[in-house]
This record gives sequence, C-alpha cells and structure tokens, in this order.
Amino acid sequence: MNPAERFWWILTIAAVVWYSTVTVYVSFRGVFDIKSMLRRLEEQHGGD
Amino acid sequence: MSHFSPWIDGPIVGLYLLVTMAAGVYVRKYVGKVEHFLVAGREMNLYLGIASLAATEFGIVTCMYTAQNGYKYGFAGSTPGICQALAMFVIGVTGFCIKPLRDSGVITIPELLERHFGPRVRWAAGLVIVLGGLLNMGIFLRVGGEFLVIVAGLDTKTFPLEWMMTILLIMVGVYTIMGGMLSVLVTDFLQFVVMSVGLIAVTLLVFYRVGWNTLAETVATHHGDGGFNPFVHPELGWSYVAFNLLLNSAATLTWQTTIARVLAAKDTKTGRQVYTRTSFFFVCRFLIPGVWGIAALAYFSSGGATAPENSLHALPAFLSTFVPVGLMGLLLAAMLAADMSTDSSYMLTWGSVIYNDLLGPFHRGRWSEKTGLLYNRFIVAAIGVFLLFYGLWYEMSGNVWDYLGVTGTIYLSSMSTLLISCCYLKWTNDWGAIGAIIAGAVFPVSFLVLQQMDATKSFANDTIGPYYSGIAAYVAAATAMVAGSLLKKALRPESPSVPAA
Repeated sequence: MNPAERFWWILTIAAVVWYSTVTVYVSFRGVFDIKSMLRRLEEQHGGD
Repeated sequence: MSHFSPWIDGPIVGLYLLVTMAAGVYVRKYVGKVEHFLVAGREMNLYLGIASLAATEFGIVTCMYTAQNGYKYGFAGSTPGICQALAMFVIGVTGFCIKPLRDSGVITIPELLERHFGPRVRWAAGLVIVLGGLLNMGIFLRVGGEFLVIVAGLDTKTFPLEWMMTILLIMVGVYTIMGGMLSVLVTDFLQFVVMSVGLIAVTLLVFYRVGWNTLAETVATHHGDGGFNPFVHPELGWSYVAFNLLLNSAATLTWQTTIARVLAAKDTKTGRQVYTRTSFFFVCRFLIPGVWGIAALAYFSSGGATAPENSLHALPAFLSTFVPVGLMGLLLAAMLAADMSTDSSYMLTWGSVIYNDLLGPFHRGRWSEKTGLLYNRFIVAAIGVFLLFYGLWYEMSGNVWDYLGVTGTIYLSSMSTLLISCCYLKWTNDWGAIGAIIAGAVFPVSFLVLQQMDATKSFANDTIGPYYSGIAAYVAAATAMVAGSLLKKALRPESPSVPAA
C-alpha cells in the first residue's frame, strides 16, 4: 500500500467510524434538544 | 432488474414517510410569528443543529455528484470534502465572520450588509443570492427523481419521472409551508437518523462484498496515481484544488442554507460549535458516496453489466442490483430522507431571503405577523413550482458538481467578499460592493451561457473549464471591492460609506 493509498484508507475508515459514532450520539441527544426547543416555544406562546 | 420489492421494501419506505410527515405537520402549532417560521425562534440547540446541518447538506443530488466524482476521478474526486471540512473547522474555531454575523441578530446575510453598505446593496445582494441559490437548486428535483426511478426499477412509461418529481415536491412542500424552520428542524433530525443508518449499512455492504483491495486496484487501473492525488490527475490539477478551496470556504461563510443553522442557534457559541463538530461530516459526505462510485466502476468494468452512458446514472444503476431486498427499502428511505431534508431547507432558506431582503422595502414594520406568515408560505410554494418547471426544462451538460460550483459561485464570490469587508474592512463602501456583485456574477454566468450554446460548448468546457472561470470570479470580486471603494473615496471624499435609506 503506497502512502497515497494509505492516506485514503485511513480517511475512509475514520469517516465510517466517526459517522457511526456521531449518528448514535446525536440521535440520542437530539431528542432532548427537540423537547427543550418545543418547551421554550410553548412558554413563548404562553407569554405572548 | 432492480432488487426493489414492493411488499418488503415498500412498507419500510411508507413507514418512514408516514412518521416524517406526521412530525413535520405536528409542530406547525408552535409557529406563531415570522421569526418562528424563518429561524425557529432562535431556539436550536447543538445536537439538533448538527443533525439538521448534516441532513440539509446531504441530498440525493449530493450522493449522485459525489459518487460521480468517485466514478470519474477515483479518491481524488473526494478532495472538495476535505476542503470544506477544513474551512468549516477553522471558521468554527476562530468565529471568522460567523461571530459578528450571529451577534448581530439578523435573519439573513443581506440584512447585515445593509448596516455597512446601505439598503441598495442589501437588495442587490438578496437578488444575487436568490438567483444563484435557485439556479443551484433547480436540478435537485430532477436528479432526485432520476435516482429513485432507477434504483426502484420503475418503468418510466407507466410511472413517468415527472410524477416522481411532483410527488417528492408535494410531500416536502406540505410540512415546509405549514411549519417553516420548526418543521424543517424536527424532520431534519428524523431524516438524519434514517439517512445515516442507510448510508452506513450500504457502505459496510460495499466493504464486505467488494473489499478495499478491489476498490484501490480499480482506481489504480483506471486513473493511475491521479486517482489518489488530485494534483497529478490530468483532468483536475492545482486549479481544481484552488477552486474548491475558494468555493468551499466561501460556501461555509455565506451559503445561506448552511449559515441558517448559525443564525437559528440559541447563541453564538452554539453556532460555532455546530460548525466545528459537523466539520468532519463534510469529509464523510464526499468520501462515502465516492467509495460507492468507485464500487460502481469496479462492478461495471468487471463486466457485471453495461455501464450507463451518463456517469451520473452509474451509482443508481449499480445500487439497483447490488443492494438486496430489505436493505433496498432502507436505502430508498435513507435517500428519500436525504432529499426531503435538503429540499425543504433550501426552499425555506431562499424564501427567507425573498421575504426578508427583496420584499423588505415593501413590508418594513407594516405587516402583521399573520400577513408575514401568509407571504412566507406563498413564497415557499412558489419556489416549489419554479423547481418543478426548471427541473423539467433544464438539460444537464457536464459534471453536476461543476454545475453546482459554477452556479453557486454567482453569489459565493461576491457575498464572501462583501461579508468579510462588512465585518473587518470598514474602509470599503457601497461602490466597491456593487462592483464586487457585478464582477463576481459575470464570469460564472458567461461560462454557463457559453456552455449552453453549441458553437461555444467545447470552448467553454475544454479551453476555459469550470475551475479557471470560478477562480477568476473570486479574484474579480475582491479586486472590484477594493477598486470601487478606492474610486468612491477619490471621487466623493465627503460622502459617507453607508448611504441613507
């Protein structure tokens, strides 16, 4: 494996691992973000 | 023959569509003001921002052109992804331009430009942004429709492409018109999850069934060293890398759909974190479909089937027979998710510029929230109709990524110059700004016109090429900003740099 091929091999593996990890983590945390966003907007409606 | 099964894959796609539409329509009840519709009341948190930015900037058209790059140029075709990831990380860490932009509390970039260059520049900037943005987005529906029809193996005689485009548009239009940015954010989140699971599953299947060695050998056989190094690729070279560095830096700073996530963030710190933590996604965005494109090249070159004439169709033709039943449903749901999240966000974003900047002089402070919401919804619907007709009419010539780069440059070259000047170069003025807008648009528009005429098509594609015309646009916009500003100072030293409204 020459250096250029090794660069793309490492980058491809890193991309798949990073993307898989972020998908799981963001899927979990994003639910709470949506809940808090809608709660704050509901409070705004109440205050209007 | 496609592996799509209406009885196994169909329900998977149907379930995804049902949940997404229900969620998108449900949150419409939280929209009470124009600010809710356009920037979700600026209540977006970090992880929702990451999901939304990733889902917005990955559509079927993205998958198609990044795979086309992999198919035509090997791994070197993924270079733009590295350029954008670097630009986004550096801009997120330093806060370059995006900090003053978010601190200002504006809804669109032209609104900030007005504070330094005056109302005429704001209107002109809005016009250029809408023109470049809509031309750029004009091919999304058609490319998305083509992908879905080919992968699902639909007979275009009984199920025409136009039907697929119209169905896609109606589904996206319904929840975007009703809930604006709130619906976009919530559906983006669901679409990010579905899209990511599908992308990762198909990538693992490619590694399992094709293998890295075959991918690398295919690139080496077809592209030689140039397949791994863009600088030595005969069709790419330094101009390709330089153009993509300029293009992706400018896009990270001023592409309104990207910057909308910074503007919708609850504060500046969150906006910057969305950029730094999403930056590596832009490597994945180019590299993962790029690997699929290389796998398609390996499949067709080994005699798996006859390669399609149009390299853009290589990926869907490959996937239609490569992906097994069951996973095909997940792939189609993932691609629908990718496309719907992109289309909805783009329609809303260009609509926000039309409402906020082009119609601004007509409604400033006089329209009620209810009237403002009505106009915004009408504008989004009108953009949808435009997309349908433009997609049916415009015939693609050349690479999709090059088309997107050239049409994007119509506004990216001048808007990035204006934004940097507005934030950091206080000696610049409205003469320079108007000069930059004109100079930045001349090169890409001329290139597109030359490319469409039979007599000049080969001159445009072979002699000039999209990369030199793109680089020229950025250089011309910056030069015009400096020259125009100095000219005004010389001819009218007494006039203020910010003209009155």
